[in-house]
Amino acid sequence: MGTLGRAIYSVGFWIRETGQAIDRLGSRLQGGYYFQEQLSRHRTLMNIFDKAPVVDKDVFVAPSASVIGDVQVGRGSSIWYGCVLRGDVNSIRVGSGTNIQDNSLVHVAKSNLSGKVLPTLIGDNVTVGHSAVIHGCTVEDEAFVGMGAILLDGVVVEKNAMVAAGALVRQNTRIPSGEVWAGNPAKFLRKLTSEEIAFISQSATNYTNLAQVHAAENSKSYEEIEFEKVLRKKFARKDEEYDSMLGVVREIPPELILPDNVLPDKAEKALKK
Amino acid sequence: MANLARFSKRAIGNVFALTRHHVLPQPLVAAAERHFATETVKSITPSADRVKWDYRGQRKIIPLGQWLPKVAVDAYVAPNVVLAGQVTVWDGASVWPGCVLRGDLNKISVGFCSNVQERSVLHAAWSSPTGLPADTSIERYVTIGAYSLLRSCTIEPECIIGQHSILMEGSLVETQSILEAGSVVPPGRRIPSGELWAGNPARFVRTLTHEEILEIPKLAIAINDLSKDHFSEFLPYSTVYLEVEKFKKSLGISV
Repeated sequence: MGTLGRAIYSVGFWIRETGQAIDRLGSRLQGGYYFQEQLSRHRTLMNIFDKAPVVDKDVFVAPSASVIGDVQVGRGSSIWYGCVLRGDVNSIRVGSGTNIQDNSLVHVAKSNLSGKVLPTLIGDNVTVGHSAVIHGCTVEDEAFVGMGAILLDGVVVEKNAMVAAGALVRQNTRIPSGEVWAGNPAKFLRKLTSEEIAFISQSATNYTNLAQVHAAENSKSYEEIEFEKVLRKKFARKDEEYDSMLGVVREIPPELILPDNVLPDKAEKALKK
Repeated sequence: MANLARFSKRAIGNVFALTRHHVLPQPLVAAAERHFATETVKSITPSADRVKWDYRGQRKIIPLGQWLPKVAVDAYVAPNVVLAGQVTVWDGASVWPGCVLRGDLNKISVGFCSNVQERSVLHAAWSSPTGLPADTSIERYVTIGAYSLLRSCTIEPECIIGQHSILMEGSLVETQSILEAGSVVPPGRRIPSGELWAGNPARFVRTLTHEEILEIPKLAIAINDLSKDHFSEFLPYSTVYLEVEKFKKSLGISV
């Protein structure tokens, strides 16, 4: 049996070598337009010489995000897919429990027209929506920056303030506590109700929990990913009624169960396909 | 795998450990100027295990629990797109580079022959303020322009959403309507059928002529054609594994 195994192994090896040789032949036929895939060189946390990002161990940093330069991220925060936090010319401080959602940009200014240069400071439990652009601003604790908002240099968003989606907040504007500013250029829209203020901190907590799920998923090794693929295939056509008719009890394997605190109400099983 | 990245990170870490003491004085100065977040600044405990660079890059399809994003066989999804959670990309659809489709709280579906252009973010909130289902569903022949942000909205068949538009929770874009570039649709708004809306917040501009309405699915089909060119650039299975094997061999790790 040992020799048969080895024989099959070497046949497999020959087939792979043949395949690779044919691949090389095809590449040569493609000539100048041949494309060779490279390993991803994307660096999630990148130093600029001596400015290194300091990221707490509880933080979820998506692999496609870029945290560059002098950036500090406090515990429980999350930096979602595609974000760029570029602390190259100045510093960025992100507090704890904050979430910087997908495709956002947090940048700092080295110099601006008024001469005052501030580092970007984002406080605790802040929600920065998708694709926001935050450039040299101060965002205090429990603020809410809506998606697509653009905050220019020197803007201060005070505690419990909200920048509505799509707003363009011009330089050195101060957004007072408890107000919603919207529009382009951003103007006062209305005051926040107390439920909305409570909602802001609730949403930050929800995001921290969600981030743990994503963090766990993104840091899986190859074997774990493949194993779960197999598990998922096996449980794809689970039918409770049929199983109970047969008298079979099939439990979802623990690897496939999301933690209870991810979805706002506990009826998450109803959502699963 | 992760060991590999940790190994290289540690090598780099040793070099930078010498220069690390330069970094410390700066946070204390910044903390003195601000009243908040000062505690966190001093209390960040970085993990020595955090990988700074993963040779695998970002995975395109990220299953969460039992939810697995499903991509149709002839749909073009660019390699640097992130599909997470309950996402379905139907036939002929295309998702262009840089998009993030995050179906972690609710479903996202990109309908037949629709396209989600570059750098858009589609998310679904847990519940929407209107009675509409909170999942983001994009029906057939919809063109979603670049850099748009969609959150829990329903887009009926044959629409065009302009570039950099923002659609908030519970919005409904009815069939055969066009949203101009840069428009922001506040939560719970409805864009009626056959009209052109624009602005922040989105306001009615004019109704569409019949010729314009006929052009809408043609645009979607044209982009579908274009996506086939992009799709054909990629081999069904990537050959990066050869690079990985070379890399491991050069580092002396057994393949």
